[in-house]
Amino acid sequence: MSKKRSNFLMIWVILAVICLFSFLKYVSPEVFQVLMAKDHPMPTPSTLMMWYIIMGVLAGLVYATTSDKKLVDFLSFLLPDRGPALKFVLQKLLLIAFPLVVGWFVYSWSIPGVASPVELRIQHPTLPQEYEKQNNPYREKDPETQRRCIEEGKILFQTYCRPCHGSKADGNGPFANSFRLRPINFQDPGTIGTVVENYAFWRIKEGAPGLPSESTPWDSAMPSWKDDLKDDEVWKIIMGEYDTAGVVPRQREKAE
Amino acid sequence: MNNLKILLHITKKRSVFVVATLFFLSIVLSSLSVLSSSSFFAPVVSAQAVKEAPAAGVELPQFDPAQAPAAAQGTESSAGTTTAAVEEEEVGPVQYRTFFGLDSRVVVWIVSELHLMFAAFVLGVPIFAVIVEIVGYKGGDIKFDKMAKEFTKLLSAAFATTASLGGLLGFCLYGLYPEFMGHMTNVFAPTMYVYALMFFGEAFSLYGYYYSWDILKGTPAKKWSHITLGVMLNLFGTGLMFITNSWATYMMSPAGIVPATGKVVSLYAAVYNLLWMPVNLHRLIANVCFGGFIVGAYAAVKFLGSKTAEERAHYDWMGYVGNFIGIGALIPLPFAGYWLGREVYSASPVMGNIMMGGAFSWTFIIQAILIGMLFIGANYYLWLGMGRIKGSERYTGYIKFLVLIIFMCFAVWLTPHNLPLSGEERAMIGEQYHPFSKYFGVMAAKNAVVNLIILATFFSFLIYRRCNKGETVPFSEQGKSGKIGVMSAVIFCLLMLVSYAVSLSFVELEADMKVFVKPLIRCLYIQSGMICFAAFLTFKSKGKLAQSLLFAVTALMAVLYFWYYGFQVMQKANVVLRYLSVTQVAMVMSCLIMNAFIDIFTFRKAKLIGGIVWGKMPVRSQYALIMLCVVIVILMGLMGFIRSGLRMDWHIYGVLQDTSPWAYTPTLAYMGRIVGLIVALFLGLVAFVFWLAGLGDKKSKAHEGGYDDAISGGDH
Repeated sequence: MSKKRSNFLMIWVILAVICLFSFLKYVSPEVFQVLMAKDHPMPTPSTLMMWYIIMGVLAGLVYATTSDKKLVDFLSFLLPDRGPALKFVLQKLLLIAFPLVVGWFVYSWSIPGVASPVELRIQHPTLPQEYEKQNNPYREKDPETQRRCIEEGKILFQTYCRPCHGSKADGNGPFANSFRLRPINFQDPGTIGTVVENYAFWRIKEGAPGLPSESTPWDSAMPSWKDDLKDDEVWKIIMGEYDTAGVVPRQREKAE
Repeated sequence: MNNLKILLHITKKRSVFVVATLFFLSIVLSSLSVLSSSSFFAPVVSAQAVKEAPAAGVELPQFDPAQAPAAAQGTESSAGTTTAAVEEEEVGPVQYRTFFGLDSRVVVWIVSELHLMFAAFVLGVPIFAVIVEIVGYKGGDIKFDKMAKEFTKLLSAAFATTASLGGLLGFCLYGLYPEFMGHMTNVFAPTMYVYALMFFGEAFSLYGYYYSWDILKGTPAKKWSHITLGVMLNLFGTGLMFITNSWATYMMSPAGIVPATGKVVSLYAAVYNLLWMPVNLHRLIANVCFGGFIVGAYAAVKFLGSKTAEERAHYDWMGYVGNFIGIGALIPLPFAGYWLGREVYSASPVMGNIMMGGAFSWTFIIQAILIGMLFIGANYYLWLGMGRIKGSERYTGYIKFLVLIIFMCFAVWLTPHNLPLSGEERAMIGEQYHPFSKYFGVMAAKNAVVNLIILATFFSFLIYRRCNKGETVPFSEQGKSGKIGVMSAVIFCLLMLVSYAVSLSFVELEADMKVFVKPLIRCLYIQSGMICFAAFLTFKSKGKLAQSLLFAVTALMAVLYFWYYGFQVMQKANVVLRYLSVTQVAMVMSCLIMNAFIDIFTFRKAKLIGGIVWGKMPVRSQYALIMLCVVIVILMGLMGFIRSGLRMDWHIYGVLQDTSPWAYTPTLAYMGRIVGLIVALFLGLVAFVFWLAGLGDKKSKAHEGGYDDAISGGDH
């Protein structure tokens, strides 16, 4: 039984890669729609799809070559012998399918089409030096003052930020759907929770116009607030924003 | 002999052919680098930009007049007339020079990286050469001694190249960046003399170690004297590295000076700056890893060129030892890297941000791919190695699960938080993060999978170890050494886990943050309990069950639970994330240490099913070893670029700005070309140096052969 199965090692590897492809292409978008409570599927990005498929193919090849016996089993599938009829059928199928798949790839990559470019984007552009030394003056105050600043900040947040970032700071403000790039959901722990407060201070002050070129072409609609808000108002907004979103700013590492 | 025969004759001498090809390749690539200003290696910078680059740049820090160079002081008196102004321009201090019109930074980049790579080899290999020598001496196995000597022979050949490159680097730095080096000399002059003296110490101990090999053997006293020379060699080498590390890390996290004036306040603080110790530790481990994989590749090339079964067996075994040392050092390397990364954040949040989220974030994706390849390659070699052990078929069934785990972890490991998306994809996803990047792209996930990869790699090693071991003997038959060994491991692990748990109890945090530390403390205590329970089971001769339980509990807590809990902490108390990472490290390390000791004492005296047939390895396993070597060289080139590039346009971060036209961060493509060139040059040079080191052997073999022929001819 085991010998029979090992003769089809190549087929098992191909099947595993096909299963992986199907999962990424058809299953995971639906699964994530349910798990994330969305009203639309969440398709796997093409870059990630390519990486994961390469991983799958590599894993299959590594496994098939971990011993001489496996390697022989893997390659011998292509050789003619008096195997079962199923092997004969699969061999022919492979002979036809392989060039077709390669042809399909070549065709789909070379056919002219219209698509916006896929660009590498830098998540957290470098914080300019002049903002590195900034500190939130209200974080050093007594708890009562801090609480008052947070409440003031929340009001300022609802006034200036809510239209885009939403009343719960979840990126679902009334204007959110009008942007191609939706406003950031601050409740997501991977966003403002990963940066120090002065980073948020810089982003609010300078907005999208102050983004360095490596952080484009995502065309963020974030306005620059430096001409409209005073520094102390920005610090309060930051405090209110973190509190509303239920996350805490990254703390500065202490030298050990 | 016609031309065809000559060609065939040459190609039969494969090693000569390979070396000649690599040497030719290195010359071609060197020529390309000479042409860098005009073509392939030219950075994408317009001529206009270069012209517009500030010639003199910003005002440099004012040094203490008492420390100002005499030439600079002399120019002050001549100011006032036109002639004097011209003279001032002519004799004033020079900030930058060029290397025959080439980009000075690229010249320094290539030379320093080549020097570093050779230095890593020269510092890493003696560590295990001495260990192998001790193992051979204590075990009475001559092949260990032979291998240690062979390593040292390579070392002495590489040492001169390292020194030559170091001299060239010094001249390049002083010639091309005189003002910057003036500052460095001003701060570090005393350490430079110590460095030079220690270099003498290293040279003497290295050559003494190599040339006294055959003299200092025969009696225990002689052998231990020889081993002492090896230890001295390591001490001098490590000391040298620590001194140069202080210069390099000072450039990233300067201390001990008045930034505004550049005046030295404390040389101790300048040397013992914030990043010094993390870099020392990281480089020390990385050098051993680097040396291991280079030796592995050397053995692989020799294996491929072997003509006899005896040679194949020897080089197969050498390749195995090289890979073993490489993996052994690779396992703790991510932990040391994590500490270094955290201290970079401590030194400057801006630098930390540039590193992980900013301009250098994509280089870390490349790093993730390379590290993944190292783990996969090392595991692949172990799996293939099981084929030469009788009895391994009992364990080969695990390989498919290990492949699955390692590749799945690798996939998570390289998933970026911020994916390259087209506009259409972004619109379809409807938000900034796809769930894959949202849950796999953050630190909590990365930490979890890297720990799982380490556990899986260790598991691969354990099943490899026990392939030819059969029925075990009861633990009571292991004698006192067994009990002492296991108990030592228990005490060490408990000290590590409990002391950290206690320190977490007293960590200074606000009450609402401190609640997030409690689960970590609980996990540390549970792990401590498991360690004790595993020891108990081992004493009851149930070592295999103890190992399985320890693996399962560690994977459940340190990988699965902390993956989930890491998200919670990120969201609500990211200040606790650092404690979580250290807890993970402590738990995984305790699992590895305890399991290793249990394995040693459970399988000692076990019935052997069959021996290891050294030399019975498929050729692809040797290519895996060569790949590991190439990957670690690329990795070292890449990480060198990251560490140095984090300073952006600063020679000394925040103190002395780089105002040369090359003070910009290169693009990934440009970096890739330069690092590729460095890798090709290094591998070409190493092949050439190793070939040189082997010339003597060939000659003596040929001589012996000729002598033998002559004798056998005489007999006839």
